[in-house]
Amino acid sequence: MTYYLVVFAAGFAGSFHCIGMCGGFACGLGRDLRGRGATLLRHLIYNFGRLTTYCFLGALAGALGQVLCTQQGLTFRLLDGSLDAAERILAIVAGLLMVAMALQFFGVLQVFHRLAVGFGSSTFAQSLRSLLTTRSRVAPLAFGVFNGFLPCPLVYAFAAEAASTSQVLPGLLTMASFGLGTFPAMLMMGGVGRMLAPAWRQRGVRFAGACILLLGLITLGRGLLPLGTHMSHGLLGGHPA
Amino acid sequence: MTESAEGLCRHCLLPVGLRALQQSMNGESCAFCCYGCSIAFQVKNGKTEEWEAAWLLIRLGVGGFLSMNIMLFSLLIYGGVFTGADARLLPFIDVLLLVLATPAVAILGGPFLRETLLEGARGRLTSSALIVLGVGAAYIYSILAVAAGNAQVYFDTATMVLMLFTLGRYLEAAGRARAARDLEPLLAAERESVEVVRDDGSELRIPAREVERGTLVRVRPGERIAVDGVVVEGASHADEAVITGESRPVHKDIGTAVVAGSINLEGPLLIRSSGSGGATRWAQICRSVREALMQRSPIHRLADRAVTGAVPGVLLLGGLTVVYWAQWLPLNRAMLMGVAVLVVACPCAVGLAAPLATSLGIGRLARHGCLIRDAGALEALARIRLLAFDKTGTLTLGRARVVAIETDGTTTTDVLALAAGLERHSEHGLGLAVVAAASACGVEPAPAHDVRAVPGRGILGRSDGTTVAAGNLDLMHDLNFAIPPGLAACGRRAEASGHSVIYVGWGEKASAVISLDDEPVPEASATIEALRDRGLHMAVLTGDLAPAACRVAAALGIADVRAGLSPEGKRATLDRHRRSRDVVAMVGDGLNDGPVLAEADVGIAVGNATDLARETASVVLPVDGLWLLPWMIDVARAVGRTVRTNLLWAFGYNLVALTLAALGMLQPIIAAAVMAGSSILVVLNSLRLERLPDPLASRPPAGPADAYSVRRSIGFPVALAPTVERG
Repeated sequence: MTYYLVVFAAGFAGSFHCIGMCGGFACGLGRDLRGRGATLLRHLIYNFGRLTTYCFLGALAGALGQVLCTQQGLTFRLLDGSLDAAERILAIVAGLLMVAMALQFFGVLQVFHRLAVGFGSSTFAQSLRSLLTTRSRVAPLAFGVFNGFLPCPLVYAFAAEAASTSQVLPGLLTMASFGLGTFPAMLMMGGVGRMLAPAWRQRGVRFAGACILLLGLITLGRGLLPLGTHMSHGLLGGHPA
Repeated sequence: MTESAEGLCRHCLLPVGLRALQQSMNGESCAFCCYGCSIAFQVKNGKTEEWEAAWLLIRLGVGGFLSMNIMLFSLLIYGGVFTGADARLLPFIDVLLLVLATPAVAILGGPFLRETLLEGARGRLTSSALIVLGVGAAYIYSILAVAAGNAQVYFDTATMVLMLFTLGRYLEAAGRARAARDLEPLLAAERESVEVVRDDGSELRIPAREVERGTLVRVRPGERIAVDGVVVEGASHADEAVITGESRPVHKDIGTAVVAGSINLEGPLLIRSSGSGGATRWAQICRSVREALMQRSPIHRLADRAVTGAVPGVLLLGGLTVVYWAQWLPLNRAMLMGVAVLVVACPCAVGLAAPLATSLGIGRLARHGCLIRDAGALEALARIRLLAFDKTGTLTLGRARVVAIETDGTTTTDVLALAAGLERHSEHGLGLAVVAAASACGVEPAPAHDVRAVPGRGILGRSDGTTVAAGNLDLMHDLNFAIPPGLAACGRRAEASGHSVIYVGWGEKASAVISLDDEPVPEASATIEALRDRGLHMAVLTGDLAPAACRVAAALGIADVRAGLSPEGKRATLDRHRRSRDVVAMVGDGLNDGPVLAEADVGIAVGNATDLARETASVVLPVDGLWLLPWMIDVARAVGRTVRTNLLWAFGYNLVALTLAALGMLQPIIAAAVMAGSSILVVLNSLRLERLPDPLASRPPAGPADAYSVRRSIGFPVALAPTVERG
């Protein structure tokens, strides 16, 4: 359980980073003329769409990890020595990715950020704005679904983490925790529409970086250290195996 | 004006063909070649205030939402979450999946079903029929399974296959639009509008084709100049690549001419139009490109036939797969294999292989002024083995130049001074060459009076009290001028070798023979060399005299020369070459060689500004554009290679995937992803053509002063300089 709480915390803190791009979208979604309740509903629907995409990505990543680690397809999961190696490699790759993302949050490695920004400003992202102004009830849902797919280093990091769990349900839960973590900030952005002071944003980003670094190091350790898999589970309460 | 009338897709500018998808968008009717293009166009151009634009995205988003939920639950089921005590939940989850899948299939599958029905009504089976059948089978089977309380449902297959195909089509169309970027300005000419300044100083925008002679047009920096005309205000540089092939900026100032199609680079210009806006070469080029894009090259037709033939075959194979596997496996597994076969064999990539690369190539060439008038010509250009050149106007400029002066003892300076003194009153091409030669040598023309031209003979006048004459042998005989035997022999020799000859005489006696020759195209030698590097054989076919032709050919290193040919003879020679070399191209000036150019596999017209619509050549180079020939061959070959790799890839991929699917080794969802990937790879492979280098600006700067230059000729004996004959 602790594990998911850390992911949630990282998502919560990291969402201050999201304010840059997704926050703009949330603001763009704006207020519903039919009142506060309708506005809140609009934003909940949008965030629900986003969460669905994250969950889907998490489950997919987890399933991918499972396929890679079992080679037997989705239905069998063997736990003998040779397959442990695949799991370790996956953990190392995911851990390295997360550490790289975390460093980027501290402003050290900018490659991923550029990559994300390059994609983010693509025509697709811009054209999505046409959905923001439509008054339809379901438009926010569609927008949220697409928004979830927009490239974002945080999403990459947690998708990697989800893959390293090498199971569908933990993968899904990892991304779900992350997505739920981003809810407060995004709702605040949309509902209240008030910008956070830059200093607080900076602190939030740092904190998110720290969380991701911690998760990354643990994942890496799971791959590198002897009996690593058990360590991580012991440390953070583990995920249901 | 709607695009549908013009037969090109609104989004990717490929021909819409017979399966045009008509859709109303932003208040106008648009034609798209495929579903993907209609999505991509809406994503790109949908106006926010319009419901229709957003509606498609909303539908896709909701479809995505539903199918992702279905996939989530299915993954959980496959991942073994609902085992043991939770297994009793499974029937409920199946019902939930059914509830989610029904709208998803309707939303995502609608366009495919519509296409299938429309095409089916016309008696044709398209690839969407495969998708509809595959998805329909999975969906209906799953409904029956839910009704029967069976645990195995395939709603995830049905929705994810649709989702992936929609995504694949969108990505493919988005990639294709990049190919269209090159073509967009060329096709926009008809829609282009210009800002007209009226007499009272007011400005208004009107379509370019409505501009008349004498209209004042304002062109802002970065805009395309849409009319031919003269600058009356402002100064700037213009990029005339689309007309001349040369991307070097050309300076524009008050009084300089501008050509339609060029781009005004930095300063605002006010231009007085010199003709109708619809009759410019630019407008003709645009019409020609549009026509070329709408034609299908032979390889494209072949691929289309293969696609049409493949669909029934795949249906049959899918059926056979189900029947075969049903003997050994439960029906649901067999059905899944059949679905995988249908989905994976969707031959979209094959249909895309040729047109995309061809449009890219045509657009690329057109941006540098090289016009391909039909798609087949581009294909043939890649395969040519022999290039036959006409001489005059192609390898030579068709302009005379003094190459030698033979005298009986007087100095060449005297000869040039007297001859130029007469000839500067003449407008004859040979006369101009003599005057140019004198000024190039720094010789002051001797003053002459009573100058009169003798038609067909030459020119005569008086200088310092004596009669001076410059002209042919007949003029000398008419004037009873004596011709020294040595000089007469020189003249005969020069004439025999194909030179033009001017006898210059004064004081009852011919004193000198001036030999003139045609000016070679400055870049001819480098061009021929570059073509030879590309492994092409070269030949010269000309109606001129053999000695002149041989001289040009020898200077350029072309061994195969046929001179003195009538147009009929040129055609026969070309035919002979075709037997030995398979694919031959003829390069001519398009004026005299029309029939021959039409006869060749590829007729290439260089450097004439005549009416494009009456042009018989299938390829037209800009004026003085011989130097673009090697680059054009490079582009054509690159396009040919791309089409071949695309086809190889698409067919190979299909065959391998089809085999795997028929053997039951491919999940339908994976098969759909694989298939979407194949189209996208074809697009990416074609987009590599964008990276081809631009034509090298190796061409020496050729100003008007250069045309009459006598750099390497004055005073040399006849035929020393490797030069060319006057046509």
